[in-house]
This record gives sequence, structure tokens and C-alpha cells, in this order.
Amino acid sequence: MIMAGSGEAVSKVRAFRGIDGTRATLSKTLIVCAILLTALFVVIVLMSLLGSEKLPAQASLCALLTFGKSSCGLTGDQDAILFDIRLPRILLGAAVGGSLAVAGASYQSLLRNPLAEPYLLGISNGAAVGTMIALVFMGAHEWSRPLMAFSGALIATLVVYRLAQGRTGATPERLILAGVIVTTFLSSAIVFVTTLMDATRIRSFTFWLLGDLSGTTAKLLWLALSIAVAGTIVLAAHARSLNLLMLGERDAFDLGVEVSRVRLVVFIVASLLVGSSVASSGSVGYVGLVVPHLVRLSLGSDNRITVPAAAICGAIFVVVADTIARTIIAPRELPVGAITALIGAPLFVYLLRRR
Amino acid sequence: MLEARDITVKYGSRLAVSEVSLTLAPREVTTIIGPNGAGKSTVLRTLNAGIAPAAGEIILDTRPLGSYSRRAIAKRIAVVAQEADLRFPVTVFEFVLGGRYAWSSTSGWGWETSHDVAVAREVLRETQLKELSDRLLTELSGGERQRAVLARALATEAGILLLDEPTANLDLAHQATILALVRKRCDSRGIAALVVTHDINLAAEFSNHVLLMKDGRSVAFGTPDEVLTPDLLKEVFAVRVLVDAHPISGVPRITPVHEVLR
Amino acid sequence: MLDRHLLQFETSSQQRRVLCFVVCLALLFITSCSKPYTRTDNQVASHQIIDEAGRTITVPDAVTRFISLAPSLTEIVYAIGAGDGLVGRTTFCNYPAEAQQVEAVGDTLKPSIERIIALRPQIVFVSTASQLEAFTNELEAHHIAVYVTDSHDLEGVFHSIERIADVLGKRPQADALLKELRARVRNVAEKVQSQPPVRVFYQVSAEPLYTIGREAFITDLIKRAGGISVTADVPGAWPKYSAESALAAKPQAIILPTGGSMGDADSNVASALKRSPAVANGRVYKINWDLLSRPGPRAVDCLEDLARALHPEVFTK
Repeated sequence: MIMAGSGEAVSKVRAFRGIDGTRATLSKTLIVCAILLTALFVVIVLMSLLGSEKLPAQASLCALLTFGKSSCGLTGDQDAILFDIRLPRILLGAAVGGSLAVAGASYQSLLRNPLAEPYLLGISNGAAVGTMIALVFMGAHEWSRPLMAFSGALIATLVVYRLAQGRTGATPERLILAGVIVTTFLSSAIVFVTTLMDATRIRSFTFWLLGDLSGTTAKLLWLALSIAVAGTIVLAAHARSLNLLMLGERDAFDLGVEVSRVRLVVFIVASLLVGSSVASSGSVGYVGLVVPHLVRLSLGSDNRITVPAAAICGAIFVVVADTIARTIIAPRELPVGAITALIGAPLFVYLLRRR
Repeated sequence: MLEARDITVKYGSRLAVSEVSLTLAPREVTTIIGPNGAGKSTVLRTLNAGIAPAAGEIILDTRPLGSYSRRAIAKRIAVVAQEADLRFPVTVFEFVLGGRYAWSSTSGWGWETSHDVAVAREVLRETQLKELSDRLLTELSGGERQRAVLARALATEAGILLLDEPTANLDLAHQATILALVRKRCDSRGIAALVVTHDINLAAEFSNHVLLMKDGRSVAFGTPDEVLTPDLLKEVFAVRVLVDAHPISGVPRITPVHEVLR
Repeated sequence: MLDRHLLQFETSSQQRRVLCFVVCLALLFITSCSKPYTRTDNQVASHQIIDEAGRTITVPDAVTRFISLAPSLTEIVYAIGAGDGLVGRTTFCNYPAEAQQVEAVGDTLKPSIERIIALRPQIVFVSTASQLEAFTNELEAHHIAVYVTDSHDLEGVFHSIERIADVLGKRPQADALLKELRARVRNVAEKVQSQPPVRVFYQVSAEPLYTIGREAFITDLIKRAGGISVTADVPGAWPKYSAESALAAKPQAIILPTGGSMGDADSNVASALKRSPAVANGRVYKINWDLLSRPGPRAVDCLEDLARALHPEVFTK
């Protein structure tokens, strides 16, 4: 039903918006999410077959698809490698990727800045300082790391938010500026406390800062996964408000959005997401920036699609990146953050130039 | 119906608006004119509950404005602000559908109903944007974009329309188009409109009432004929003006007489 | 006109430079034969040596004031009886106890150059393990001789001991020390010789999993203690390692560096290795980090500890 006369413009929009030139609808969202979830499932299964140790592909596939109920002829060691080492790491990668991408997408809409990112706002550094305090003073306690990371991220968010509040409210510019101030302050705090730590703790902290997905406990993995899923749902539930906030806080207010409440929800949930991923994997950069951007370019700016799609695409991105990190120089490994930056930075430059 | 009674607004200790009263009635266009810094936009933001008045009260229909939720107000009062700044690609249709936000059953994850879509199609037709509805807002001209902003406000189906300098940055033809659309809505749907503008002639042409403001105070309120007199305008703008009748419509026509020209 | 003038000027300056160079060379030749220049302008006899990093340095014939910037080197200095001349150490130099009486000049990561200059050392000892190349250049810019040690195995440590003793004039003491150390090393070698080597995984840190590679000093110690590091062929000294490869290597013993200046932070086996034969058989050994990490005389203590852990059956007396 599209006019022939505006064919060129429409095709431009179509090319730009992917699937079709029309707006986001529930059915389109469900179809997109179903396709992406299937892709994520396939990626998880395929990436489980890759690793520094070669496992029999057919037997592994069989064991994976029966969820480990049948060993399908895998030896005990192979079974342990698949289910105790590889799969938890892949699932953690999915949780971290999803969390960071959703947090990034929400910050970008809220702050009306396509370049906004947890790292830019100092929230990741807040989580890092929290984790560092946990490493130094509460090393023994299992929950101390995620808890302190949440607290660090939340405190950093609230400080940024308070700093950004001028007499006329928080403008995007003030907010970013406040984020830069908090980031640099916390970076110095990290350096300062590092010099006070003894040699070994500096080492484990530096290792952790490089970004790593191995060696999580089952409890922490479930925590990261539940926060990723719950956080995505909560933020997706605010997607329609975010759509209006994306066009300006005053406009959103005029159209009926309770701006300060939505902003608070986004800040809290996003700090939980960032805190949980920083606590479990250190610094994995570029996910919160590249993934939402890519999703928006292909599916449009409607957050009701962008938020869930970014979650799933972020999961796929980090799972693939981590598979590269753990196989490319096997049996040695690279930090996953190096791979995400290596893929992310050029991709981002390409996307920016294409527009 | 929206009624402001002696509202006073302060920014810190600075008095921005002092004891201004105003009634927006159905089928009427009211215009606020006055020099820069007279408090025109502040009155408009206060009427939309964006700013709380320090004194006085605002009654929406029968209850105080403060007793309504944000969404309830948005269903009743729509605002046309100056151009939105766009950093994300949004189509005209998506943009206009944003006006239906307050009507969704849930606050966030709502989807537009077929009624919402029908309303948006209708206002797009009315604002002559139908052909452009799949275009990105950033690809539109200034006049088209301002029509889209108006279309979004109309899509709220609110009974009260507040317009904050809707014709700034527009050329002659587009200025008239925007106000003609507002006038038409007032007449056909019985809505009330408040326009903040610098264009006195447009105000004269399209308004039922004019509020003349200076330094946060109301100088005069009445029909264009009553308010747009040389004496009052000289008092407010400190510029001598000629007022005669528009050759076609007969409404007052204002021509400033600048000292340098004499 | 102008060009020629410039050219002439350039030529003359060039000639001046060559002249300067020749004069300097001559001076250098004369001074290096007789009276060297030192920072304090004391006319001290000196000679040139090549350190373990291949750098030519000028050291006084009699060294009475020096600084050590590595815990292992501090231990060597005391072991050969030269501790009296030590005027500066790092905060990590905690052995022997006397060393702690010496003034600290900062940690191994960022020593204080001001403090070092103020202590007027004749020579500063640096280990390549500390990665202080830039700092070494800075010290030399202040006319402080820097001796760099570079040991990657036990023989390298013994060589370092000899060379440092030469610099400090303690060769007889070093020979006696080395005789004793070599005897202890031989003793271990004889005992473990007949034993099948034990497959060892050395866990530097659990999360993320880091281990030792080809270039690590500990790889050599494990081999001498009758073990074989399952990561001995991995390039690098401290590689980040795949958990599944560590498990698939089926290590019979796991070594955790703990204690000493390390504290007990990394005293747990990585969760991926819980199913390894080493954990199943209870063969997880905690070895003092200070002994493991320092290529000094106590590396032989470490060797004995390792051998005792890997082959308890031959050390039962």
C-alpha cells in the first residue's frame, strides 16, 4: 500500500530499518525475539563444541541436547569439561553480554546520547572500586564481590545523577560531564588503593580488570543470569516511556511520562546489570556501545524492540568473542575484553562512517 | 476547561509571574503576547503542571491541577513545544503515535491499539503528512517537522492545546498553516487553545482573546480589538505602532513605526 | 651568498663537533685507564664489566655502598656476607630479618629515584624479573651504575650469585655458598632420579586461571624436583591458561603459591580443577610464595620443599 511516488524514500527507509519500513508492533517484536533467541541457542550449542580441548562433536551435541542427562559416550573428564567448564562460561558470557547491551541501550535512550555507555558514566568504575574493596577486605565471602559491585555502581550512578542536577534539571551534557568527572576520580581511587594492596592482590585485581569469564561459581552464574533476564524485562517494560524520553525529557513529560520515576528505575536496574557483569567478568568494553547501535540500525529506534533485541544480540556477541578469546591461542587465553574491543572498535568506526 | 486564578511563579527568589489569571474555554484560542522575558512561556509550563505555582490555583475541569496524575493531565492537556532535537532515527508515524502514550493501559510496555493507529492516521491526514508518514523525521523540512509536532499533540485528543511559539523559525505560509489547523480543531472539536507567540498579527487573526504581559504581570486581557491598541502596545513593547483594520478579515493589523524610519 | 655562508657555518660546526668527539674519546681513554669520573667526584679505581643483560657498565673496584631493587638479590647479598654495604632495599625485601633494618626505597614497581640518589650508592642491583628497564635508564642518566641480573633457571641463579660476589669482592664466600647449594641440589637429584616424574600443574591464580610457562624459573625447579610441569611448553612466563586444558592434562599434583608476602588470597584450587586426579588424591601442595618467586639462594630450599611434596616416599628419614 505504498505510494509509487515516494518509492525511493520508502526503499531508503526500508533499507535502513531492516525487516520492513513499518513501525514496531507486538508481532514483529515477538518474531524478531524468537529468531534471535533461536540464533542464541544455536550459538551457545555451537560454541560449546569449540575449546582448547577437542571433544567428540557428535557425542557432545547429543549430551548437550539431552541437557546432560545422557552422557552419550563422553568420558567423565570430557563431560566435566563440557558441563562444568565450558557451558557455565558460555552462559556467563551470555549474561554479561545481555546485561551490558541492555544497560547501554537504556542509558542511550534516557540520556538522548547514542554514545552513552556504562563506562562513560563512571558506573563501571564504581562497580570496579566496589569489587576491589571486596577483594581486599572481604576476600573470603562468596557474595561480597557482586554485592559490593552493585553498591559501587549504584553509588557512582547516584553521585553522577546528583552532580548532573543543575538548577534547570539534568541536561544530557551535564550528565556526561559528571560521568567523566566521576570516572576519572574513581580511576585515581583505583590506582591509589592498588598501591596500598600487597603484591598478590594487585596481581589478582589486575588479572580480573582485564576481563575474564572463567572460574565462576554456580551460585554467581545463576545470580548473573537472573539479573540479566529480570533487568531486561524491567527495562523492556519501560520501553515505551524510553521511546518518548529519547526525544527529550520535556516532550516526554508533556506526553504523560513520569520522567523522574522512569529515570530512577533505569538508573537502579542498569547499575544492577553493570554491577553484576563487572563483578563476574571485570571489564568487557564496547558491548554496551556497539550492540545497541547495531540493533538500532537494523531494527529501528523503538525500544520495545531495541531493548530485548539488544539483550539477545549482546549475549551472542560476547559468547562468540569469548570463544575466540579462549581458542585462538589455545591452550593459552586472551582476555575477552581485548576481543570485544578488537571487533567492536572497527565495527563502530565503520557504522559511524556509513551514516 | 482550564482556569488559572492569580498564579504567581518564582524561580528561587526571582518573581517570574505575578498574579496572572486566565481561562481557557472550549472553542476559543487565547494568545499570550509580550516582550522577551515577560513570563509567557512560564505561564504555559505552569498550566501544564511542569512548574508548581508559588501562589494561586489552577483548576482543570472541576479539580485542582495538582490532584491529577501525570498521565491524566497528558490526556487532557497537550503541548506543542518548539522543535524537538532528534538524535535517533524515528519515522513520522512512530513520532505521532507517541501522542497516544497517555492512553495506553500500562505505563511502559504498551502497544498501540487499532484505535491509536486510526487516530494517528487521522491527524496525519489532517496535517497533510500522510504521504510522509514512513519518512524519518530528520528528513523533513522545518515546516513539515513542526506540523508533525502539532500532529503528535493533536493525537493525544486532549481538550486543551498549549502552543509555545509554534511558528518560530517558520516561513509565512507554514506559520499560517499551523495556526489555521489549530483554529480548525477549536471550531470542529471544541478544544481550547493557548498560543504563546511573538507574532501579533497572527494573534489578532486567529485569537478570541489576547493576554498582554510585561515583567511577569498581566497588562491587559480581552478580545484582540480591546487589547491590541496603540497605547497598550507602546506601554508593553516600548515601540510606537500603527493599528488599522486588516483589509480582508477586518481584525486589527499592527505595524511598528521605528524611530529610524521617521 | 647566504647559502654559502650557512654552509660554511655548518662545516665549521661539524668540524667542531668532530674535534669535541675526538677530545672526549681521548679523555675517556685516559680516565678509564687511571682515574674514572664518578658522581661524587671521588677518584675511585674502577673497571668495566658486562652485566647479565649484556650491558657494559663501569663499577668501582671496591664497592661499599649499594642498593638492591629485588628481594632475590637482597637475599643473595646477605647470603654471601655482603649485607653490611646494603644501603637501600625495596619494601618487598623481607628476608633475612637484618634486611628490614635497611632503608626502603619503595616497592619493586615504583622505587623512588630521589631516595636512591640521596643514598649515594656506587651500584644498584636490578633483576629483569622486576621489569625496570625504563627505571634503569633513568638511574644511569644520574651516573649511577646499574647491574642487571637475568636468571631463568637454577644455573642462572648460581651464575648471578658468582657475578654479584665478583662485583662486591666476596668471591670466596660465594664459592663456599655455591658448594653447599650444589651439594643440596645434587642430593635432591639423586633421590628423585629413580622416581617417575609427577605431572604438576602450577596455579599462579585461580580466577582468572594463570599458570607458569616455558620461561618461568619455577618450571626448571619443578623439573629438578622430579616433576614435570604440564604447561612447560607453553610460551611465555605467566600465561593465562584454558581451564579445560588444565583439567584435560590430568595433573597428579597441584602447587599453590601461598604465604610469605602473598598472604592467603589465592589458596584455593580453581573450581575447574576440582575433578583433577591431584585433588581426588589430595595432592595439592601449598609452597611458600617467597621461596617460589625469588631466584635467589633460597630457591634451593624451595627445590627441597617441592621434591619432598612430589616424592614423599624418598624423603622419609
